[in-house]
Amino acid sequence: MSDPVSDRKRVSLDRRTFLKRAGLVSAGAAVAGRLSRPGVAAAQDATVRPDPAAKRGGTLRYGVHTAPAHFDVHQSGTVANIGAQSPMYDTLLRRSPKDGQTVIPDLAWKWDISPDGKKYTFHLRKGVKFHDGADFTADDVKATYERIVRPPKGIVIPRTPLFSTVGDIVVVDPHRIEFRLTEPRPKAFMLGAFASGWNIIVRKKTLEENQGNLRQVMAYPGTGPFKHVSRKDKEIWIQERNPDYWNKGLPLVDRLEIYHMMPFSAELGAAFLSSKLDYARLLDPVSWRKAKEMPGVTAAAFNQSVIQAVWMNMKKKPLADVRVRRAMHLAMDRHTLVEVVKDTAPMQVGGFVYPFHEMSTPRADLEKKLGYQKDIKPAVQEARRLMKEAGYAQGIKGLDFVVRDANTFKLWAVAIQAMLKEHINIECNLRVVQISQWFDEVGGGNFDLGISAIVSTLMDPSDYFSAWYGKDGPQNYSYWTNPAFHDLANQIERELDDSRRKAMVRKAEDILESDPPLLPVSYEQIYDAWYNKVHGQNPSTFFGIYDVVRWDNVWLG
Amino acid sequence: MRKYLARRAVYAVVTLLGVSLSVFVILRVLPGDPLVAILGVEGHASMKPDDRVRIMADLGLSAPLPVQYVHWLGDIAAGRLGKSFFRGDTVAALIAHRGPISAEIAVLALVISWLVGLPVGILSAFKPNSMPDGLARAMSVLFIAIPGFWLGMLIVLALLFWFGYKAPIIVVHAWQDPWQNFQIVIGPGIVLGLAQGAYIARMSRSCLLEVISEDFVRTARAKGLREMLVVMRHALPNALLPVVTISGVLLGFVLGGSVAVEQAFGVPGLGRALVTAVIERDIIVVQNLVLLYAVIFVAVNVLVDLSYAWLDPRIRYS
Repeated sequence: MSDPVSDRKRVSLDRRTFLKRAGLVSAGAAVAGRLSRPGVAAAQDATVRPDPAAKRGGTLRYGVHTAPAHFDVHQSGTVANIGAQSPMYDTLLRRSPKDGQTVIPDLAWKWDISPDGKKYTFHLRKGVKFHDGADFTADDVKATYERIVRPPKGIVIPRTPLFSTVGDIVVVDPHRIEFRLTEPRPKAFMLGAFASGWNIIVRKKTLEENQGNLRQVMAYPGTGPFKHVSRKDKEIWIQERNPDYWNKGLPLVDRLEIYHMMPFSAELGAAFLSSKLDYARLLDPVSWRKAKEMPGVTAAAFNQSVIQAVWMNMKKKPLADVRVRRAMHLAMDRHTLVEVVKDTAPMQVGGFVYPFHEMSTPRADLEKKLGYQKDIKPAVQEARRLMKEAGYAQGIKGLDFVVRDANTFKLWAVAIQAMLKEHINIECNLRVVQISQWFDEVGGGNFDLGISAIVSTLMDPSDYFSAWYGKDGPQNYSYWTNPAFHDLANQIERELDDSRRKAMVRKAEDILESDPPLLPVSYEQIYDAWYNKVHGQNPSTFFGIYDVVRWDNVWLG
Repeated sequence: MRKYLARRAVYAVVTLLGVSLSVFVILRVLPGDPLVAILGVEGHASMKPDDRVRIMADLGLSAPLPVQYVHWLGDIAAGRLGKSFFRGDTVAALIAHRGPISAEIAVLALVISWLVGLPVGILSAFKPNSMPDGLARAMSVLFIAIPGFWLGMLIVLALLFWFGYKAPIIVVHAWQDPWQNFQIVIGPGIVLGLAQGAYIARMSRSCLLEVISEDFVRTARAKGLREMLVVMRHALPNALLPVVTISGVLLGFVLGGSVAVEQAFGVPGLGRALVTAVIERDIIVVQNLVLLYAVIFVAVNVLVDLSYAWLDPRIRYS
């Protein structure tokens, strides 16, 4: 089996052959279009190619987030790592930079899924080299994924649960590897997991030499389009074009200068508006709106995989009562909460499932439900009725509300405090703490209410249903349990039919609405802006900032 | 003099040991888990107890506190200053890279404070209760009252929105590119310098008012000396002593103020590194930087004390 990218240069194409093949391809496409899985076949032939109009060369100055806390991308959960390190690495599969959604080949040029959905076989490219000159083989993929699936002691990888059904990882030959699942999972879920930007392929030798811990190893070799040049902590990471990149013709820019700047900060906005950056990610709304008005600048907003929420400690008596939690859920004026932070961070209204995901209740329908309407009177009326029914008609006093020390949370906490007081006479005392203390307090159960944000890797509910809402889930800070939901979530994980899954997710939403495990505040958006000389990147349809940050197809006009 | 120096050195060492112990203890008793910053929210949430034990041991945080403290002192004595918890960068390298920027800002602020504060103080003292004196006093109160970080933000925004200008966003040392370096340090230098200059103006005014009523000044005037000479040769040297003392104290304010002002200007100096380290709970970086600030403060105050003898020959150390 051969790698189409390496073979491409050996093929000579005369006019007659071209016409024949074009006819065959057209006929094939027409037939394939009527088959049941059109997307997969098309996606498998969609390796990123350079834009024919692209110019080569130049330096892209990109501002994104503060410096990473360590260098181990697998162990990270922040864009501080992905934003700076992703251009140096590849993944087995990736999301297309055109839409940020379609799963396309990367180091695996092709994949097969067994009919029973329990075996994923990846065909790896030949001739790929790590930056230190070593050949890339299936052993590196196995070492990488063995670490992700079964991390050694002292290594914590947030994506491990995505691969909970992966049993054996078998190297068939140096360029073919099989993942054998103990039970099947939806294909979109598994392919999305393999295409996650976090799951970069690292050398087996690198892992062995560092006892599996890369937290303090700055520039371990990757196979990616850019190579490490230098780094100044908390300032800049400079990378240069990898001349031996397997995807010939890419990358298009010669050099990347990645500047570390606080997200949503005036400093990042000022650096972009004064043209010290070509591309800025995570702009604050004020700078973003200013950038949008500037000639020669494009500004885009897109969805991020983060929910902002209030957790309620169900070990405390009043909050264990489902009616009280439902009443608090209904007492939140979510449209106002989005408005409150509109100059601090971009947000949107949503419920318990990503509001922009195909399986969730459509936004128009959601906004007809109590708790999401612009006119909150009916919701407040129902909330008061529930409080009365629960025996708290006079309200509740003295709830300890632990607030993470960040602008958005502080603004929201004050607004939520006022809403709870005004709508259902619940009085809270705000306690602002640093992020590290927040997790200590909430993790230790020393709170009544706590506001923070959590993230998922995939948009697929099966990724976060167990982490956020699962019994003993790592981010189920409310200590919430609901047997009906847990059973349903298990079924959703295993259901392979998309339409049946969708119906089950809607049913799960209903359970969450009636027995809230948390109070959804809003869902984050990301504001990017770039000068129009930057081509090849428009994240408007992306989901999150973790999957498409390679910059290999971006060019400067 | 030697005895005096030895005594001051002992006091300085005791002070610094006190500072080191305080910062060490405070950073360890403060609530909050440093592993949140290292592993992130999701990693921290999914961490097992075994993982925690292993990571804490890797970071050197599982040893008893006295052992950790002695290790730190050993690191300082060896000049290593330890490594950041997170990325493994050494604190010594951080100080070498960012220290010059903060030092330039501090020196610039001190120079500006003298260049502005002293002439204003002299003018005020020799024309007391005049219009220039009133203006000078009002301005000095204003600059003392305005928070440096707020003024810094206003300057940054004004330059950005009126001129589309922003100073360089990464460290550029004077020996690499003097002009770029100047653009980085000038803003914080002016903001910090004007605030300290206000103190110096007020202090020099009151000292001069006291000195110019002394007999020797009257004598100098009676001898027919020009007013400028009376001020520069007779009154000012005698009024400078308290101003020099307050300059030493003010350097402490400059160091403290630079933390917020560097943040406002986006200057990648030590103050900013300290803020980031506090947010990250990178306690090794925090404790070393706080100790460095304490060392500078103590050293400056010793130098100020020693300068008294030079400024006033009547003073002798024994």
